[in-house]
Amino acid sequence: MYLTSDVSSYLYEGVTVLLAAFAIASAITIVKQKVVLYSAVALAFLGFSTAALIALLSPSAYGIYSVFHVLLYVGATVTFIALTIVLFRGIDVKPSPSAGVALGVVIAVLVAVVTAILIYPSVQASSTVPPALSLTELANQLLDAYWFPIIVLIVGLITTVIEALALARRR
Amino acid sequence: MLVGLIVLSTSIVLIAIGLYGLMSSRNIIRTLLSSEILLNASILFTFALSYLNGLTYPPVIYSVFAISTALIEVVVAFAAVILYFRSKGSLEVD
Repeated sequence: MYLTSDVSSYLYEGVTVLLAAFAIASAITIVKQKVVLYSAVALAFLGFSTAALIALLSPSAYGIYSVFHVLLYVGATVTFIALTIVLFRGIDVKPSPSAGVALGVVIAVLVAVVTAILIYPSVQASSTVPPALSLTELANQLLDAYWFPIIVLIVGLITTVIEALALARRR
Repeated sequence: MLVGLIVLSTSIVLIAIGLYGLMSSRNIIRTLLSSEILLNASILFTFALSYLNGLTYPPVIYSVFAISTALIEVVVAFAAVILYFRSKGSLEVD
């Protein structure tokens, strides 16, 4: 019984580590790939691995959002990016200057270290497991407490559709 | 607990990679893709931190808004990129 529990726990953590490595490899591909279209494909893989990592955290609590992430982000946003990049196919990407790369690396490492230091006390103090998500409760919270952001979002999405139509019709 | 820490560490590494790409690239599309890495990293960070603190609804609600806003941002940004390319004939920025 304990052996089975241990094996499933190791398997669970192993899959998480694999997905984390896959997400990091996808992100490096996005930044380093010379062909921009392949970078967009790598972004889709990053979206999938992000959704899978979120679902693995707590399937009962975050599983619904994970599906939403795949459908809206990977299905719509990344596909739109890839289709737009196809319009620019054949355009070369010039190599970056070395000074900018050094500065970027230094700032990125600094941000990572500061973030880790800032969140460490919060992580140490925590011990509770998030409860399962109820769709009814989620809908109630969205419609009661977040009705105004939803209206703003709907207006934004409608504006985006109008803008896309205007752009497509321009000669 | 360990899974939460692994995801949290991953999100921090992704933030670092996204910032590196944002600062080192001269191509507009590559810059936009790096900002998408940052978006994914920040969502992962929100969920990992919420998981470690036992929260269910706040990360879901905030991330739904973030993803929907990202969709709007991507469409507007690529419209700007297309107009930039029409006027300059290149995607490189100085």
